[in-house]
Amino acid sequence: MLASSQVFAASPRTNYLLFCSGCHRPSGEGKHPNVPTLVAELGRMMSVPEMRQYLVRVPGASSVPISDAELTEVINWLLTEFNSNTLPRNFEKLSVDEVSEARKKILADPLKYRELHWKSYDD
Amino acid sequence: MNIEKIIERGYYWVDEHARQTSVTLARKLSRRNFLSRLGMMLAGATAFPLLPVARSFAQSSVEEVGDPQSCDYWRYCAMSGTLCSCCGGSYTSCPPGSEASPITWVGTCRNPADNRNYLMSYNDCCGKAVCSRCSCHNTERDKPVYFNSNSSTVLWCFGTENTSYHCTVSLVLGTTDE
Repeated sequence: MLASSQVFAASPRTNYLLFCSGCHRPSGEGKHPNVPTLVAELGRMMSVPEMRQYLVRVPGASSVPISDAELTEVINWLLTEFNSNTLPRNFEKLSVDEVSEARKKILADPLKYRELHWKSYDD
Repeated sequence: MNIEKIIERGYYWVDEHARQTSVTLARKLSRRNFLSRLGMMLAGATAFPLLPVARSFAQSSVEEVGDPQSCDYWRYCAMSGTLCSCCGGSYTSCPPGSEASPITWVGTCRNPADNRNYLMSYNDCCGKAVCSRCSCHNTERDKPVYFNSNSSTVLWCFGTENTSYHCTVSLVLGTTDE
């Protein structure tokens, strides 16, 4: 019992590899133009308040079959793991409450939201 | 002296040189010596997977047990497709002439050799007509196609030059129990 419960209490890295890395690749670089990168750019996005919830509301993140707490851990992990050089100095990690709230508002058109608050995907 | 004669002499020199070298080698070396070296080269070549993907995890550090050409092999617990090990590749390398898709789907399998859970990346090899040997369909952690990113039956040949599906390899990304 103990052994099997340990398997399911996965670390953010394991959850990233299991649910995200298939498309974003194990080092987060993605595959332009099919899959956006998670390296460096997310850190820059964090200077815009609306883009915090964007990371949770994109369908790939909000639909992942893990708990809100685990999703929060994964997003904070990839911000510090792949974006430590570009995060704003005053950056605060996402909270579980913030993620739970944003997750309910899944984006039907993420590219449009991105263009409105950040920039177009091709720029 | 015209050019044809010069070329002919060149060929003759190469021929003669190759003949002499092989005769000398044949005198010096036994047939077994050649076979054992060839065998060593072949065994060495299979130890180096040729797949051009980032491998942060050393495949050789995983203990292996079983037959990689059988669908029951532990790495294939979530495999859906054709085994590259039956199609001129191995469980980690695409057959010559096909290209590994960088976009994959990821599952987990338990290795009976050490009883640990491993994160498995199933990369499709693309760009050649489908290989119809050893088809294999296992469904651990598999989701219906409406959960696109967790469906093993989706063809993952995108991000490659040619999107025709050939076969699938199974790479270890790491262990789940850290």
